[in-house]
This record gives sequence, structure tokens and C-alpha cells, in this order.
Amino acid sequence: MHLEGEFTVAAPRLTVWQAVHDPALLARCVPGCEEAAQIGENSYRAVVKAKVGPISARFTLVVDIVEEEAPDRLRIKAQGEEGSRASMLTAESELALSDDGDGRTRVTWASDVNLSGRLGKYGLGLMKKKAESLSAEFVTAFSRRVETGEVVE
Amino acid sequence: MSFVLSPRTVEEAVGLLAELPDALPMSGGASLVAMKNARLIEASHFVSLAGIASLHGITATDTGLRIGGMTRHAQLAACDLLTGDLSMLRQAAGQIANRVVRNMGTIGGAVGNADPAADYLAVLACGDAHVELTGTEGSRLVAMTDYVTDWYETLREPGEIVTAIHLPAARPVPSVYRKLCRVPGDYATASVACASDGDGVRVAVGACGHGPIRSREAEAALRGNLRDPVAIAAFGAALADLADPVDDVRGTSEFRLRLIPRMVAAAISDLEGKR
Ligand SMILES: Cc1cc2nc3c(=O)[nH]c(=O)nc-3n(C[C@H](O)[C@H](O)[C@H](O)COP(=O)(O)OP(=O)(O)OC[C@H]3O[C@@H](n4cnc5c(N)ncnc54)[C@H](O)[C@@H]3O)c2cc1C
Repeated sequence: MHLEGEFTVAAPRLTVWQAVHDPALLARCVPGCEEAAQIGENSYRAVVKAKVGPISARFTLVVDIVEEEAPDRLRIKAQGEEGSRASMLTAESELALSDDGDGRTRVTWASDVNLSGRLGKYGLGLMKKKAESLSAEFVTAFSRRVETGEVVE
Repeated sequence: MSFVLSPRTVEEAVGLLAELPDALPMSGGASLVAMKNARLIEASHFVSLAGIASLHGITATDTGLRIGGMTRHAQLAACDLLTGDLSMLRQAAGQIANRVVRNMGTIGGAVGNADPAADYLAVLACGDAHVELTGTEGSRLVAMTDYVTDWYETLREPGEIVTAIHLPAARPVPSVYRKLCRVPGDYATASVACASDGDGVRVAVGACGHGPIRSREAEAALRGNLRDPVAIAAFGAALADLADPVDDVRGTSEFRLRLIPRMVAAAISDLEGKR
């Protein structure tokens, strides 16, 4: 499943760059994120709960920053599974930041998500809609928190 | 392992759901059992609504009809009260899945589950239906046109159940339900419910977004112009503009967007033929 998008944040690029490295801040913006912690220099662990109608799943994810060019570009790999290994999730994402004038930053992102196991059988079309609405929720929360200066933890 | 509980009253059922946060209501089990077998859902308990007398049956009220949540699709497909502008509900019920599912599945379960492709949603939105939701605090009515808020998300709070569907009394004007599916009994690729309304129509499109699509503004613009193909095309285009279909095995999003104006025009012409 391929997802992509673009949004602007009313904050300078360096501030946004710091924000996308702040697990505590991100944890509060990712819908359904129950915990997040840094486990290595470029490695994070997160527990995320997602729900579609009566179907819910809790994934434990390991998120690695695999490439970065501060403060412009970031490549992230996420890999995770449900507790019982009932489904597996992998995602490769790329994030690019650019100045958008007036101290604003444009964020362009793309993500390829793969889901297998019990949830992989579930309608992909619907998963994509759900992922899009979760992304939109994230963007709203992230922009608000960064714009109100809630960056350094 | 899930335990099945069999309350005898609605109060008991919603009490159990409030007490047991990992419990789910169960009506016919048509979808619930399939989802459980596919390991898509986990629940500590299923609270079966089948033994609650007040959820069964279709009754006339001061304003129209009350259809109990436990009413099976097969009963609605054979219901003599569903005439005129309510006949589309009867038509939709008869096109759900197959005989086995129609004998098992219920309107309360279908509306509770709110599958975007469920046949009832478009019909109930078109028919100005209200959903009766009951929780430990009592019952409330929400308009079907407001009920679905996102993909599989509704105004129903956790712990509330769909106890009935309310419809205005049948009027003696034609209505039609058109369902496009790959094979008979499949979920709809797209569907249209259409009912005559004076010199206009009420129309709702199904399976092309998270909930049924209806536009009262577009209906008002079409009023008096039911023989004008340009006005009908504009009406269909307006509904397609409100759609947000998925890409799935039944068709691409693009395909569904193209279907909408055609199916809407066909449904309106069906009605003109029935006058
Ligand atoms: C093979 C197959 C084909 C199908 N094809 C179609 C089709 O073409 N068109 C169509 O519209 N539908 C179709 N369905 C769905 C069918 O209409 C089911 O009847 C419907 O999904 C509800 O089933 P049920 O009433 O048995 O509810 P259940 O299976 O008991 O429950 C379904 C879900 O709704 C919840 N629920 C149950 N009752 C209530 C309630 N009163 N209030 C709130 N939540 C409740 C449950 O917790 C569960 O999550 C199909 C189902 C199957 C299995």
C-alpha cells in the first residue's frame, strides 16, 4: 500500500527536524500510540493500537532511521508484529523538509506499507482509507504541537 | 474462547455490555461468527440479542414503522407493510447475500456493523429513517443520514446497541433499489436507492464512501426537472462529487465514480416507468 502527502507547519525547518526525532512528541501525535521509547542511537520502539470497526490490533514496532541528511531528508524503516504474531507490518517511509517562506516548513512524505497475516486478508481498499484518515489526524496533531512550541522534552 | 450470554431484556443486555468492556453484541451472528473464525475479532463474551422479545417484529407507530433490531433480512424481504416508497427496503433485503445469510442476518446487526457496502444504508438514508440507539442511559434517535461518521465509525457509542429502525409511514409512490454486483449475492460494487417525492426524487448512493451519500440541495435543484436529461446528469455528477470510493476487488474508485451518474439516471427512469 502506497501512501503519500504533503503539509506545511508554521515553524522553521530546524524546529520541525528536531520534532520528527522526538519520540515523546511523536508518540502524542500518532493516533493510538500507547508508548514510545528510544532504544538505540537511531532506533525507537513503539506500541500502537489501531481499530477498524470491531476489529482491533496492537502492534509493537521497531522504527529505525536508516538514512538522514539533516535537516532535509529522512528515511525510516518500521517493522512490527502483533503480540501473537498474527499479523506483521513493515513500512518504508521517506520524509523531506523544505523552507516554505515566512518561517514555515513544507513536509513531503511517502510511505510503502505492507501488512500480512490475519489483517492482510482484510480489504486493502478500506485499510488505505483508514491509513489516510490516521495520517490526517497525525498531521493535525503534529502541526499543532510543533506550532505551539512543544518540541523539547 | 468467547462465552455467549443470553439476556432477556434490552436493559439487561446493555448492562452486560457496560459491565464487560471486551464483550460484543451479537444479533444473527452472520458476520460476527465469520469474523471470529477469521480471527479478526476477539471478545470475552458475545451478548446475544436474539432472546429479547422487544427487538423482534415490525410494528406501526404514530409516525410510521418501527422495525426491531432482530428483524431478519428474510422477514423484511417478505414484509407486506413495505409498500410504495418503502418497497425499496423490501427489494434491498431480498438482494442481500443468499437465503442462508438472509435467514440469519438482521437489520440491527447490519446497521450496527455499518459495513460501507451494506445494502440497507442507502435505502435507510433515502427513506429518512432514524436509528434507535439504546445504552444504559436510555434510548435516542439519530438520522440515518448523520449516523455513519467514518469508515466503520458511527454515532453509536461503545455499549449502545441498535434496538430499532424508525421509518415514516409508507406513501403510495414508487421506489427502487438498484444494486450493481459482480455476481448475485455479492456485496454491492455500488448501489442506489431512489424514491419518488412529488415532482422530485429522494436518492441515496451506497458503497461509494464511508456512509450513504445523499444531497438535499441537489434533490431540490432537480425538483420539477425529472424529464430533463441535463438536469439528471448534473444531479448524478453532484452525488459523484460527494463520493469517496475505495479501490478494491469489486472495482476501482474511478470505476465507481463513473457508475454513480449512470445508476442514478437508471433509477430515476425506473421510477418514471412505474408511475
Ligand atoms: C457471506 C455473507 C455475505 C453477505 N452479503 C451481504 C450483502 O450482499 N449485503 C449486505 O448488506 N450484507 C451482506 N452481509 C452481511 C449481512 O447483512 C449480515 O446480516 C450483517 O452484517 C449483520 O449480521 P448479523 O445481523 O447476524 O449481526 P452479527 O453478525 O451478529 O453482528 C455483526 C456486527 O455488528 C455488531 N452488532 C450486532 N448486533 C448489533 C446491534 N443490535 N447493535 C449494534 N451492534 C450490533 C456485532 O457486535 C458485530 O460487530 C453478508 C454476510 C455474509 C456472512
